Amino acid sequence: MLNPITLLNLIIPLVAGILLGYLLRNRKRIKLDKASLAVIVILIFSLGFGIGSNNELLNAMPKVGFNALIISVITILFSIAFVMAGRRMVRA
Amino acid sequence: MMKYVIAALTLGVAAGYLNNNFLNAIPNAVVSDQLFNLSLIALLFVFGLSFGLDKEAMDKMKKTGPKILAFPLFVVLGSLLGGLIGGLILSIDVTGAMAVSASCGWYTLSGPLIGQLFGTQFGTLGFAANFLRELLTITTIPLMVKVDKYAPVASGGATTMDTTLPVIMRYCGSDMLITAFSNGLILTLIAPFTIITIASFI
Repeated sequence: MLNPITLLNLIIPLVAGILLGYLLRNRKRIKLDKASLAVIVILIFSLGFGIGSNNELLNAMPKVGFNALIISVITILFSIAFVMAGRRMVRA
Repeated sequence: MMKYVIAALTLGVAAGYLNNNFLNAIPNAVVSDQLFNLSLIALLFVFGLSFGLDKEAMDKMKKTGPKILAFPLFVVLGSLLGGLIGGLILSIDVTGAMAVSASCGWYTLSGPLIGQLFGTQFGTLGFAANFLRELLTITTIPLMVKVDKYAPVASGGATTMDTTLPVIMRYCGSDMLITAFSNGLILTLIAPFTIITIASFI
């Protein structure tokens, strides 16, 4: 993920999409919901595929699953609390 | 929407497991890397397009402006405190626990890097805990968004630029695109440095 080429792979389509959308703004409405849902399903499927085919991850879960769950839940809760408090601080 | 996500995730896990352990029909990377990257690139383009088309989304974005750049900082600080408290509750080494939560959901980084710096046990914990952070975020976004519009972005951490982004966009609206993407990008860039800094306190 840190590979700069991979980062560009994400930033280029994002910026291209925004620019094209901006240019097409005054044309007739384009419906993207159905198309994007199909691609989301493919993305989530391939994410699941990566998890299911990762034996290292699957073997780790029974061993450290409980501790991992505690740490992840507490970390999520504090991240949310800090962002909510931080938003008030910067008035965003 | 959520039922499709859960179904796709479950089927994906089952298919990946069967393919890897029994069928060996296709190389794992074809789906988990190539198909994943292609669909992510397509989604980023489509999300960018819908953001560009949406005048309201851009106006909302302009109102919040550069303040969104502060969000990743709050996410890191919240994560570090979460790791500290989690480590104390479980009575394990708190620096290790903080390194685990400093990965902010990036489990492919935290496994190897934390393993190297804190030992195999913490590497495995980092791998599992950050994987769960991603999984819990994806599956609870509809609940979190009721608490706060930005809660899914906070919870997703480094994953909000890729795996959790589509679900965030669906539930939080297209004006969250830049906020979520930049949050994930910044956290991805700083996570290795935070982990290495924590390791220097051992």
